[in-house]
Amino acid sequence: MDNNQLSPPYWKWVPAAFALAGIIVFVFATFGPPASSSGFVAVLKGAIATVAPDYVEAKAHYRMSAGPGGWVFAFVLGMAIGGFIAARTFPAPVRDIPEIWENRFGSSRVKRYAAAFAGGFVILFASRLAGGCTLGLFISGSTQLAVSGLYFGVLIFVFAMLTARFVYGRAGKEGQ
Amino acid sequence: MSSPIWLGLVSGIAFGFVIQRVGATNPDKMARAHLMIEGAIPRFMLLAVLLSAIGLLGLLASGTGRTLIIPTSLVATGVAGVLFGIGWGLCGYCPGTTWAAAGEGRMDAVFALLGGFAGTALFAQVHEILIPLLHAPTNLGQITLADWFGSDLAATVVLVAVFAASILGIGMLWERD
Repeated sequence: MDNNQLSPPYWKWVPAAFALAGIIVFVFATFGPPASSSGFVAVLKGAIATVAPDYVEAKAHYRMSAGPGGWVFAFVLGMAIGGFIAARTFPAPVRDIPEIWENRFGSSRVKRYAAAFAGGFVILFASRLAGGCTLGLFISGSTQLAVSGLYFGVLIFVFAMLTARFVYGRAGKEGQ
Repeated sequence: MSSPIWLGLVSGIAFGFVIQRVGATNPDKMARAHLMIEGAIPRFMLLAVLLSAIGLLGLLASGTGRTLIIPTSLVATGVAGVLFGIGWGLCGYCPGTTWAAAGEGRMDAVFALLGGFAGTALFAQVHEILIPLLHAPTNLGQITLADWFGSDLAATVVLVAVFAASILGIGMLWERD
């Protein structure tokens, strides 16, 4: 019990990687390659179809994607539930603004939420262009030895690292 | 595929739980990974892929599992990788982690999720223009390492070696764990 207060609450990366790989292999066995950016399409397809069914029918990207009620929709919904359960049983407080962001840009919620919105916009636009995201293309693709996943993986890590340096500058290091 | 919906839900709950517990849904930890301050998250990701590749090899050898190779388009996959990296570095969320982080109750993740819907909607609108323009001309098809190294086994050995070397490299180059 005493150890709980001394050790960091986050899981170690090695056992966590074994757990995640177990889930990924389970998904390959029961469904196929796991994906999460397709979940955005599934939700949107369902939402738009209720107000403009003709538009959804006319657009290739919605026609070729699964709608709500399918596996991908259930998977992303499950991810939100999993995150909720994990956070409710976790000692660290949930923050609306990351510490490192606050050190660099202050505690303005508007600024952080605008950046998060812009980031979310770009990563999903890019994922749909590539045909997958960190999970659906890099992790799923590399697991299947796909060159597309490895090529995408190298680029996303390199450009995320360059961007983080640009965004946080020296403040990232000083904020430790 | 008509895989039961509850399997997707259960898989998603387990996935969301694990990525929260390792800290991948925390944009502070993600930024520190990108700044080469903390190596745990990238090593977690690479080790998960390495182990999954071995697991999938076993799965395919036993005749189960379904694969789907996304085609490699030099321009489309490349441009998308650059854009994705910029967005990831800016907000610290991936499409998958936004769901789990929004479930955690992080308000910035909710805005990343909303931005994601807007980005998806825009892409769906311009799909008919961008795919023939950026994707089709440099599409090399569904190529895999197995095409280059002769067999799934040989290619998996190469992948495991490269990923293991990367994990060790991050352990040495990132400042602290």
